[in-house]
Amino acid sequence: MLTLSINGADLQVDVPEDMPLLWVLRDVLGLTGTKYGCGIAQCGACTVHLDGVAARACVLPVGSVGQRKVVTIEAMKEHPLGQRLQQAWLEDEVVQCGYCQPGQIMSAVALLAQNPAPDDQAIDLGMAGNLCRCCTYTRIRSAIKRVAQA
Amino acid sequence: MNLRTCLRGVFGLSLLPLAAVAQTAPADQTLIERGEYLARAGDCLACHVVEGGRPYAGGLPIEMPFGTLYSTNITPDKETGIGNWSDDDFVKAMQQGVGPDGQHYYPAFPYTSFTLMPREDILAIKAYLFSLEPVRQQNPENDLRFPFDQRWGMALWNLLFLDDERFEPDPAQSEQWNRGRYLVEGPGHCAECHSPRNLFQARSGSKHLAGAEIQGWNAWNITADEEAGIGAWPDEALARYLRTGVAEGYGVAGGPMAEVVNHSLRHLTEADIDAMVVYLKTVEPQPADIGRPAPRELAAEVPAETAHPLGRKLFADACASCHQWDGSGRQTPYAALRGLRTVHDADGRNLLRILLDGGHLEGPDGHHLMPAFNRHFDDRELSDLGNFVLSHFGATEGRLTPEGVAERRKPGS
Repeated sequence: MLTLSINGADLQVDVPEDMPLLWVLRDVLGLTGTKYGCGIAQCGACTVHLDGVAARACVLPVGSVGQRKVVTIEAMKEHPLGQRLQQAWLEDEVVQCGYCQPGQIMSAVALLAQNPAPDDQAIDLGMAGNLCRCCTYTRIRSAIKRVAQA
Repeated sequence: MNLRTCLRGVFGLSLLPLAAVAQTAPADQTLIERGEYLARAGDCLACHVVEGGRPYAGGLPIEMPFGTLYSTNITPDKETGIGNWSDDDFVKAMQQGVGPDGQHYYPAFPYTSFTLMPREDILAIKAYLFSLEPVRQQNPENDLRFPFDQRWGMALWNLLFLDDERFEPDPAQSEQWNRGRYLVEGPGHCAECHSPRNLFQARSGSKHLAGAEIQGWNAWNITADEEAGIGAWPDEALARYLRTGVAEGYGVAGGPMAEVVNHSLRHLTEADIDAMVVYLKTVEPQPADIGRPAPRELAAEVPAETAHPLGRKLFADACASCHQWDGSGRQTPYAALRGLRTVHDADGRNLLRILLDGGHLEGPDGHHLMPAFNRHFDDRELSDLGNFVLSHFGATEGRLTPEGVAERRKPGS
C-alpha cells in the first residue's frame, strides 16, 4: 500500500510500485483529466506537477514518487495561476480538439511559476515538450503572454 | 544457507558436507538455487537469449572484429542444447573453453574469467541449467572470416593467453575483499568488457579494468583512479550503482551495462555487492582521458546563449521534459545528467549510442525508459543535439559531426 499526496490529499493506493503514475491517476483514482498520449515522455499530454515542477506521468513509476506532492489538472481550478491561465485560454480560444490541453496548461503553470515574465524564446523552449497536433501553438503562446504581462 | 554454502565453495573451506548433501533430493534444490544465483552473478542470460526468445536458448549474434558469433543453446535439450553433457564436459567448457567434441570456443564466451571458478560452483550452475525446461532450438552457424574460422587456432591462443587456474584467496586480504575479487574477476567477468584487448583480442594484463570500447560503447575505467575511475565514488554510491544501475551525480547504466544490472547485479545480495565495492576500490589505478565533469550548478531554465541552437531546440522538444535544463532529472534520478562521464566525453561515444538506441533499466521501483531517437532525428540533428549536451552539461566542446553520426548508426559501431 502506497500513500500519495494528490491534489493536497493523502491517498492510499494498492498498486504495484512499477505502475506508471498516469495509470494510478486515471484507472485507480479516476482522475481522467490527465491524458495518455505517447507513453514515452515525448508528447506532454500526461504532464502533472511534482512539487510544482512539470513531470511526465506516463514514464514515472509510482514507487519513485515518494513524498513529492502530485498536482493534476483537476486542481487547477483552485490554483491562482491555473485559474488565470484557463481564463486566458478561453479568451484566446486556444483549444481545438483539446486532447493535449490539460498537459499544455500544466506545463504553462509550471513555466510561469518559475519565470513570471518569459520572453518568446523562453515560452517556446519551455513549452517545447508539449505537442499539439491541431497546432494551437501560436494561441498557446498568446494566452501565456496574456497572463505573463498581467 | 545459500550464501554460506556459496562462500564455502569459494574459499574451499569445507567442500565435503556440500558434496554429501548434493546426493539427496531436498539438497538438490539447494544446489539448484545456488546454481541459479551463480548463473545470475555470471550474467549468463545476457548472451544466451535473444529479445523475445526463450531464456538460455541462445542465438544472440555477437559482432566481433573478424565476423559474427552466435551464443549457443544451454538448455538441457539433448539434441540442440547441452542435455547430453557430463559434469566433466561442462567443467571443461567453463574452465578451458573446450566443448565435448573437442572444439575450441572463442573468448567471446568468457571462459578466460570463468576459469577461476571452482568445479563445485560450475556444477551448481549446471544443476540449475539442467533443472530448466529443454528448449529445442538449433544453434546458428558462426560467420567468421578466414583464418578466424579455424577453431584449432584457439588452442594456440589458449596456450598464450589462458591461465587455466582456479581462484586462490589472498590470505593477506579480508574475506570480504576475496569474495569481491572472486565475483568481479570470476563469474562477474567484468574485465571481459572493462579491460582493453591486445592485437590478439586477449585482455591486457597491464591495463586491467582500465576501460575499453565494446559494441560501440565505452566500458568505462573502473579502477580505483580518482580522476578516471571509480576511486572518488563513495562506497555507498558505487554499491547503489551496481545494485540499481544509478548513482546520481556519478553514473547511470546504459547499453550493455544496463543489461548487466537488469539480468545480473540487481539479483545479488547486498553482502556480495558490498564485497565487489571493497575489491574494486583497491584495483590498481589506471589513468584515462575521460573523467567526470567538475561539479557545477546549472540554472533550471533555458540557457540564453549556446553555440548549438539546433541542439538546444531539440533538447527542449525531446529531452528537457525528463532531464531538465539543470540536468537534475525531473522524473527520477535515472534522468539526472550531472556528473556523468557520458556527458563529458568529447567524442560522445556513449551519449550517441544511448540517443540512437535508447535505454531500459529495471530499478527497484520499476522500469525506467529512455526512448530511442534513431528514426526521429537525422545525422545533423543528432550531432548538434549531442554537442549541445556535451557543452551544456559536460563543459566539453563536442566533436560529433553528421558524418560521424551516419557511421555510428550501424548497430554496435
